[in-house]
Amino acid sequence: MSWLGGWLREIIMIVLLASFVELLLPSKSMERYARLVLSLLVLLTMLSPIVSLMKGDAASELSLAFRRSDGGGPGLSNAEDAELRQILADGKKLAAGGRDQSLKLAAQQIAGQMREQIAGETGQRGANVTVTLALANEAGDNTMPVITAVVVTLPAGSAEQSDAPQGSGSVGSVPISVLPVDDIKVDLGEGENGLKETGESSGPAEPAAAVAGEDGGSGGADAKAVTALLEKNWSLDPAKIKVLNGGSEKL
Amino acid sequence: MEIIQIIGIGLMSTVLILVLKEQKPMFAFLLAAATGILIFLFLIGKIGGVISTLQRLAESSGMETVYLKTVFKIIGIAYIAEFGAQIVRDAGQESIASKIELAGKVLIMTLAVPIIGIIIETVMKLLPA
Repeated sequence: MSWLGGWLREIIMIVLLASFVELLLPSKSMERYARLVLSLLVLLTMLSPIVSLMKGDAASELSLAFRRSDGGGPGLSNAEDAELRQILADGKKLAAGGRDQSLKLAAQQIAGQMREQIAGETGQRGANVTVTLALANEAGDNTMPVITAVVVTLPAGSAEQSDAPQGSGSVGSVPISVLPVDDIKVDLGEGENGLKETGESSGPAEPAAAVAGEDGGSGGADAKAVTALLEKNWSLDPAKIKVLNGGSEKL
Repeated sequence: MEIIQIIGIGLMSTVLILVLKEQKPMFAFLLAAATGILIFLFLIGKIGGVISTLQRLAESSGMETVYLKTVFKIIGIAYIAEFGAQIVRDAGQESIASKIELAGKVLIMTLAVPIIGIIIETVMKLLPA
């Protein structure tokens, strides 16, 4: 019942105020217009229970509408606008974080698959595969992740490499090169380019740190086999595949 | 007894203006405008008292301040537009005076637009689609 009392009191107040204001008005010419606005106010006050039932508080709706109509800018300018921008920036940051994570996950999964393929087809167990994914911006809006580099570190203990690990061969690993990968699709939100994630499928060793050495001997043949395998299975540009001999790390 | 002071100022300035008008019509107009502003300033203090009283009453009765603000805006626009229009009319520029009045009317009407918007939205929601 208290809301009824408040409502009645509000109506009475606004009608009194309106009649008072009508007396105060200076000229006849303004009177019609002022009377229109005043009667609308009285009407709104009478409707205010319905308004609050429909869409929230009538008075706050009205003040919001006034602020919006007062030149659009000043109402929503500094504080709220900055707040909005802050929220948008946060959202963008979150989206970028999610993209980072999914890229990382995808890179890890790809690396795992590559490792299994290498193990299955060349018999090199425990190879350490590191895949670097980046978002390529093809045709503007559609960004899709692309493998930019694959580093395979062959295990040091494998039979072929144990005999001839002369680390500083320097003939340049058979760096082999590349077609952008089309069949690997990772569903990400749209995003900016230049994100890079490295996923690493765990071999026991460190990811191929700074080892550039490549054996001239049978290890080289092995590396070639691995490269050819990856090139065929993933349709990669051979230049993006780098096979390192894990044995050279030990030297 | 302020009314006597105001009438005194008004009479004095009227006599002065009548005298000046023959010699320097320009100064007569300036004097008229200055007198108008003086009387207006005289009244502003009183109006402030009335408005603060109304505000206090409205707050104590739990009335929303938005309504009160709207009503005060109406009075303010009406008075200022009227005042400016009369000064311009004194200077003989009837057309500009009517433009000022038009501006006042339009500004009062724009105050009505948000109210109309809310009322119409509510009514539309009340009606079944």
